[in-house]
Amino acid sequence: MKKILLSLLVALIGITHFNKVKAQSEEELVQICTMVAGEAEYLKDFRIKLDAGDPPPVQRFPVLLKKDIKYRFTVCNSKDFEGKVILQLFDNNRQLATTYIVATGKDYPYIDWVCTKTGAYHLVYSFRDGKAGLAVGLLSMVGTM
Amino acid sequence: MRKLHFIYFLSLLTITTQVFTACNSCKKQGVDITQDLYVPDSVIEVAPPQVSKAVTEQMMQNISSPVETAALIKGLKVPFNKSFLANTKQAEKFNTNFEKAFALGLYGCDLGYLNMYEKTSFVVDYISTIKRLADDIQVGQFFDFNTLKRLATNNENLDSLILISQQSFNRIDAYLAETNRSMLSAVIVAGVWVEGAYISSRVAQINNHPKMRETIGEQKTILNYLIALLKVYENDPSMANLIDRLNKIKKIYDEVKITYEIGEPEMIEENGVLTFKQTDKQIVEMNDELYQELIAGIQELRFDLLKL
Repeated sequence: MKKILLSLLVALIGITHFNKVKAQSEEELVQICTMVAGEAEYLKDFRIKLDAGDPPPVQRFPVLLKKDIKYRFTVCNSKDFEGKVILQLFDNNRQLATTYIVATGKDYPYIDWVCTKTGAYHLVYSFRDGKAGLAVGLLSMVGTM
Repeated sequence: MRKLHFIYFLSLLTITTQVFTACNSCKKQGVDITQDLYVPDSVIEVAPPQVSKAVTEQMMQNISSPVETAALIKGLKVPFNKSFLANTKQAEKFNTNFEKAFALGLYGCDLGYLNMYEKTSFVVDYISTIKRLADDIQVGQFFDFNTLKRLATNNENLDSLILISQQSFNRIDAYLAETNRSMLSAVIVAGVWVEGAYISSRVAQINNHPKMRETIGEQKTILNYLIALLKVYENDPSMANLIDRLNKIKKIYDEVKITYEIGEPEMIEENGVLTFKQTDKQIVEMNDELYQELIAGIQELRFDLLKL
């Protein structure tokens, strides 16, 4: 009987622990990202989860950005995955901004974007070298121009 | 012993189920939506966009943001004016879920305006109204009323007030999408847009800044996206009616000419912060008569929808 109870307890702890890990992971990343974004006002968050692949899989989100607003795009990686997220901002098929500069190999936790044209843009997220990853992207507003 | 094996099997099965459920919830969200959304570039006139349902659900909350509208107005140093906002007593007039969702967006926009101007003394009234409306359409659990009330009452951490308000609306949007009620999300967005355009139109009447003129004019682009999103649900009679009303103002907007000059973005790194500056130019053209017609049209639309 003791063994049965112990087994049930182990199973219950396992389930509870797994649920907590799952629930905390993305929400925690949003909170971390909000802190990284600093003074900028939160507008929206994007959850990115991609498997490994070659070419690197991408996740896209359409957004409407407004003229005369300085936006901040913040990215935060989950420690549980190897992949380092890259954000690219597109207007149709034209890349306008990115958090990873290939020429210097430098990664930025956030970039600012001064918008001069109201319209639809695309946020394209991928993980460097096509590794699997979990990340959160944050769209926030630094201020008006 | 057999019993013990059964318990182990049951535990394993439960954990496996949990793992699979978890994986479903973090499934890759994006199909290739770029192909679904054609954005006119370097065009003479903005063509109405074609939007699929997948894009609708992802773009929903971003179409019209109370924070951005209010920030633009505050940026022009226009003083706060309570008379721009909808009276919370009017919330009782909204009966159906459709009307309540519309009002939720409308008061949500007003809340953004109040938060931006740090008018916390009015906030409690608005968040109470929003909470009631949210409860009525079964999304009240996502509106963090208690935290917002505490922040507003104690006049503490105003950035958190904006953050939690915004996150509450995003959670409502996500939940409505999960429960196949995206139409209500679209209606909320329409409410936010109508109120944001209305507040802008009121400001435009007292402030001649060219930016105000452009803000009113560029609503043409946003309205085109909004109508395209709402059209996904046009089979619903209430939605068809809302689209009809919005189409009246769209007709006036059709006369506004928006052109673009395309440039290459500039990249500047200062103090470790990388900034990309877009150099595209947006030119909004309209004569004074058309400008006044737009202001009147927006105000008429809002009064009409508020049943004044």
